Amino acid sequence: MALLERTFDICNELSFPSVRDWKGAHPGAKAIAYFPVYAPVELIHAAGMLPVGLSGAGDRLDIQHADARFGSFICSIVKTTLEMGLTGHLEPFDGFLFSTICDSARNLCFVMKRNFPGMYVDFLHLPHNPSSPAATQFLAEEYRRILTELERLGGSNVADEALCHSITLYNHNRALIRELYRLRTQHPEQVPTSELYQLIRVGNFLPVEEHTAQLESALVQFRARSTKQRDSIRIVVEGSFCEQPPLTLIRLIEDAGCYIVDDDFTIGQNWFESDVPTQGDPLLALATSYLDRSVYSSVRHDFRKPRWDGLVEKVRRSKADAVLFLIAKFCEPAYFDYVPYKQELERAGIPHLQLEFEEKSFTFDRLRTEIETFVESLVFD
Amino acid sequence: MTDKKEYRGSIHQRQKDLMLTWYDQLDQAANTGNPPTVSMMISGNCVELLEGFGAVPLYPEVNALQLAIRHQSLDPILAAEDLGYAADNCAYVKADIGCILKGITPTGGKLPTPTLILCNFVGCNTYLKWFEHLAKLQKAPLYVIDVPFMRADEPSRSDLDYVVKQLQETVTKLEQLIGRRFDYDRFRQAVECSSRSEELWSQIKHLARRTPSPFDAYFDAITLMGPLYVYRAKPEGVEFFEAALAELQAKVDAGQGVYEKEHFRLVMEGPPPYPYFRTFRDMFAKWQACAVASTYSTVGGLWEFGFRHDPDNPFESVARHMIEQNVTNRNFLQRYEQIRRYVEDWNADGLIIHFVKSCRLFSAGQGDMRDYFTKKLGIPTLYIESDLEDPRYFAEAQTKNRIDAFFEALEHSKATASLRGSA
Amino acid sequence: MRIAAGVDVGSTQTKAVVMSDNGGLKILARALVDTGANVQRAAERAFDSGCQQAGLHASDIGFVVGTGYGRYKIAFGNTQMTEITCHAKGASFLCPSTRTVIDMGGQDSKAISVGPSGEVLDFVMNDKCAAGTGRFLANSAEVMGIGLDEVGPLSLKAKHPVKIATVCTVFVESDILSYLAQGKTAEDILGGVHVAIAKRTLSLARRLNIEPEITMTGGVARNVGMVRALEEVIGRKMQVSPDAQFIGAVGAALFALEKLDQSFESGVWRGDHAISGGH
Repeated sequence: MALLERTFDICNELSFPSVRDWKGAHPGAKAIAYFPVYAPVELIHAAGMLPVGLSGAGDRLDIQHADARFGSFICSIVKTTLEMGLTGHLEPFDGFLFSTICDSARNLCFVMKRNFPGMYVDFLHLPHNPSSPAATQFLAEEYRRILTELERLGGSNVADEALCHSITLYNHNRALIRELYRLRTQHPEQVPTSELYQLIRVGNFLPVEEHTAQLESALVQFRARSTKQRDSIRIVVEGSFCEQPPLTLIRLIEDAGCYIVDDDFTIGQNWFESDVPTQGDPLLALATSYLDRSVYSSVRHDFRKPRWDGLVEKVRRSKADAVLFLIAKFCEPAYFDYVPYKQELERAGIPHLQLEFEEKSFTFDRLRTEIETFVESLVFD
Repeated sequence: MTDKKEYRGSIHQRQKDLMLTWYDQLDQAANTGNPPTVSMMISGNCVELLEGFGAVPLYPEVNALQLAIRHQSLDPILAAEDLGYAADNCAYVKADIGCILKGITPTGGKLPTPTLILCNFVGCNTYLKWFEHLAKLQKAPLYVIDVPFMRADEPSRSDLDYVVKQLQETVTKLEQLIGRRFDYDRFRQAVECSSRSEELWSQIKHLARRTPSPFDAYFDAITLMGPLYVYRAKPEGVEFFEAALAELQAKVDAGQGVYEKEHFRLVMEGPPPYPYFRTFRDMFAKWQACAVASTYSTVGGLWEFGFRHDPDNPFESVARHMIEQNVTNRNFLQRYEQIRRYVEDWNADGLIIHFVKSCRLFSAGQGDMRDYFTKKLGIPTLYIESDLEDPRYFAEAQTKNRIDAFFEALEHSKATASLRGSA
Repeated sequence: MRIAAGVDVGSTQTKAVVMSDNGGLKILARALVDTGANVQRAAERAFDSGCQQAGLHASDIGFVVGTGYGRYKIAFGNTQMTEITCHAKGASFLCPSTRTVIDMGGQDSKAISVGPSGEVLDFVMNDKCAAGTGRFLANSAEVMGIGLDEVGPLSLKAKHPVKIATVCTVFVESDILSYLAQGKTAEDILGGVHVAIAKRTLSLARRLNIEPEITMTGGVARNVGMVRALEEVIGRKMQVSPDAQFIGAVGAALFALEKLDQSFESGVWRGDHAISGGH
């Protein structure tokens, strides 16, 4: 697929070529990087800025400075993000946005604040008690606070109309992602995850308008395929992904005999179960969507409905045979949630395998063996 | 001769008695269902609210640390790992959950299933998952008080309102669960007691500014912390801290320090290695090094810089305490500032950063902290690593080696400074 | 004339150095033995060997300072100092412009910021695992069936050093085997191993202010490939004394001599037999 030709470079080049291109084409405009998983990108877009989702430096950057600041037992993405900063790779960005995903990431926000004193570095407190009626107003006000900072940075106010327009654009983008995921669940032979993954993830670097056009084209192309179905097992990949798996690993999983029929690799880009309302106060709309219409995730807490029920539902909905937990080394949220996830899967009689990965791996012999063994155990059951 | 004395006045025994009384109440609650109990996190805890119901706090963290101090933490940790928890998960959580799985408790008495599992989320994301897992395991109701993180210099109006509303929702929830109305007056009185306990505790912390300090503001402060979290809002707590202050003041008046001669004054950052509490302490005692301030002793509340609960604004001041006045909900740079203040105002010779594997809130980024204190402020800093709960992660020889090397260097620089001074 | 000794009991080797101060500091003897299982015996053997070399009796030695991990087991020692303090002192004596020490030993590695008189200003250690230590090199050599003495010179001949992903001493073995299976040359593999260790070590050292001159100490300093790899990664030439292995013992001996020098403030000495008082 021609669309894929550039996606790898755009996603992986440490010099952020697409961001530089965009800034070149929009002199004076700002680019705001956000740390995973979810960010209210509509706010950034409405302020005339380019939102860019950071996801570490994979295996492309040797950690030479950042591990002096973050010791052992910390996930790679935290360190490679700081390393990128300390080696000048984050130069195209005018600001960084972090949020309440985990303790390591939160501390990273403030370490970056100290080390890049001229930058706009902010921390978004996403609510962990959506059951409280007060959470809506709090989050709307928190979004207002961020927006005010962006207005200050950009030098101009953001009208509600602009916000509604941005929401509409991103709604459309998310709807396309949902459609692609649906297509893949129904016809995984037509939509290899190694391709879909790149096509979605590149949206973290491109202007939403451009990405939407690409997704529309991709949808047409995927639908037009008439690939033969393989005798693969259908799996859900669950991993609370901030740190991203190497593309080789995704290919390996498919080559080992799996159709990935659902995953949470790029869950931040498809965070809502349905469109964000475009009527009424846009910040309120974004807030209520976050609180009441977000997909389940290990970085979000809503005790009205346990995440583990969400996983079982996902498996059933996508008619998957098994779950593959792919957990980034030292990822505390994922490792914690693994326990109740596992318990519920066992109760529901759903087979599962847990594997650990690192973004910077480039040899995969052990992982390959484990996955192949797992597939064999399911096929020859 | 190195004096390994530590603070062991009568208040130490009184502290033990108070904690045992608390465990007895929990045992009673387990047997009879009364008094109602509420699980909470130590950090930024709102124990005052419980007083409005005559409810007793249950602190899973205290259970975990009690187990570790008594060298009983490994078995429950292993039980939790059998269930699927990872080597890299916080060992406090594993020990606590392991205890429930194995039906053991630190004192041998029973621990109740709480009336409400109240997760006061003040910065530590692990707390959220811990309490969710407890709710699933113990089949008890869960409520999360989402406390906005200190991402600006001050809490905003929006932050305060959000927390106050959640506190009020907590009250409603507890009324439903316990079947009795919230006693607002008792709550106010509790807030008043807290403000008095805090004033006394703050004065105690400030006594450590004297030379010599009458107590170790890390090891002894940790021992004195129990009543601060369980009894702060009760008259027994106030009495305890009055007695503690009097005893320590008397030591100050008599010029008595922790050691025969106080050779080094330190600020300690990070939790202690509870399974090796005594051993760790001895490594500093050998050098007659006394902690004059510590960040860990402010997890439950930061009172030495003037904050007090306000009985005239009980809900809002409880909210403010939870948002702003405890070390865990304060951002990393605010912790640097807190430490810097300690080094300056408490006149410390150096900083010890204790990285603990389990706790990313404390430990992630401590290398940057080290960088700031050594390179920007020129403060002698030692970085050591172990774990707060898991006995498998303590390398005694290596830790001792680093500590010895640090003090050899510090001693040398003190000696040369005094030579220059006397020349 | 004052004569004193320093004994450095390391994880793999024990070193003893005898020094005199007769209007000038002089090294009289250097002894090296394998530590083995019995630390106490190793210390005694090294010390005896040192005395013998110097043509002296144990009773001629006025003061003994023990250092290294086994320092508390040196029953005949007068006091102990950490090897961090002793390395700084020894490096400063042998290479007087030393301001940073990088020590790579058998099982740990460290970097030390050193003041003008050899005093320790700051230090960082990797003592948790064997990454970046002599053990990493030894394991790599063993996997490849090459003598430890040869790995350094071979690594210098690398044309295209391979990329080593892991610094885990255990896991690097499978990486090496994988590269051998791919037909990579021993030189290229060793080149990669040395670069990986050098980067890891520099990463550790960066926690300090790395000031010139940088002196490399410890057993691994005898590995020419390691010295070169470190120099390339740091971007500066380093000082390496021919006595690199003995630097800890030299530092200990220097402290022992200072103890004999009555004019020195006795309050500096610490250890389990602390001789305090003084200031």
